[in-house]
Amino acid sequence: MELQSDVADTQQQMEQQHFHVLAVDDSPFERKLLERLLRECACKVTCVESGDKALEYLNQLDTYQSNSADSTASLSSSQSPQQEGLKINLIITDYSMPGMSGYDLLKTVKGSSSSWKDIPVVVISSENVPSRISMCLQEGAEEFLLKPLKLSDLKNLQPHLLKSLVHYNKDTKCSTDTGNNNNNDNVVKMNNNVISKRIAMSPEPSERRPKPKELAVV
Amino acid sequence: MEGSPLLRQVAHQRQALFDEGLLDEQFVQLEELQDRTNPNFVEEIVTTYYQDTSRLILNIEQELERRPLDFGRLDGYVYQFKGSSTSFGAKKVKAECSLFREYCRAGNGEGCMRTFQQLKREYATLKRKLEAYFQLARQARLTQTASPPG
Repeated sequence: MELQSDVADTQQQMEQQHFHVLAVDDSPFERKLLERLLRECACKVTCVESGDKALEYLNQLDTYQSNSADSTASLSSSQSPQQEGLKINLIITDYSMPGMSGYDLLKTVKGSSSSWKDIPVVVISSENVPSRISMCLQEGAEEFLLKPLKLSDLKNLQPHLLKSLVHYNKDTKCSTDTGNNNNNDNVVKMNNNVISKRIAMSPEPSERRPKPKELAVV
Repeated sequence: MEGSPLLRQVAHQRQALFDEGLLDEQFVQLEELQDRTNPNFVEEIVTTYYQDTSRLILNIEQELERRPLDFGRLDGYVYQFKGSSTSFGAKKVKAECSLFREYCRAGNGEGCMRTFQQLKREYATLKRKLEAYFQLARQARLTQTASPPG
């Protein structure tokens, strides 16, 4: 047990910022594994079994947050819902699911007029299908990960989580903060399972093309 | 402690699972997720794997009884099976799934049924060997705590 000063406490709290990830997969096994991997990355995890359930959950959060907001006189940045730990910082979804696919979910989230469209979405799949990958990236997915997932794949998602924080706290519509650009290099430097588009300062259409490095053959 | 015959046996049995090609590197990833906060993770996830996949086996069996065979639906189930088996590290089972999918795509019913039998055999073998391994590991842990340290 360590004794800590108040200053160190705050710093540690910031470092241990528990990002809240919404994990979507129809397989109980995959959900269990995802949850464990994400918790290993110090994330809070909510697992749901379908795209519909994911949207339901996001709706519930919105309702909760708008109720909370009404009850506080003015919402300063230090009182953001982030502190509640409820706001979703990242959605990670399987591609192939019965009913609403991961791609459908991605489209819905990115096409929404609410704050949902700013939530980073990562798509995962056990199949390496280039057209599928570029489709997802073009629709706004931050990354397309190939299963089987390794811990390092998820640890590399850190920049996206930070981005969502910055985005929220600054309450702006622009895509990234300069502070995160150093981390973007880490995202582009990837292992075999990760195909990622560069997080550009201004997302020109050409910038949103996927960079298929080292496509893993599953 | 390291020299304990039981622990050596556990390690040997574990290694055999890899040497015999039943498990691959992905299983090691799962093992690495087990720690003090998640002391039973491996056994838990093995249980979940078998629960999930036994359901799929039933689905596949039902599909194989249809006439005519619906290769699309069949492939759908095998795809899921393969996905879980890949994330689990079940190397031989995964290989049988790949073969099965090829027969599905080729619309080869005979091949599908033959491969399914082989798949079930590999699947059962892995389950049996994993159970034996976990039982031994449990025994070893009990022995460890029973004897004084050092």
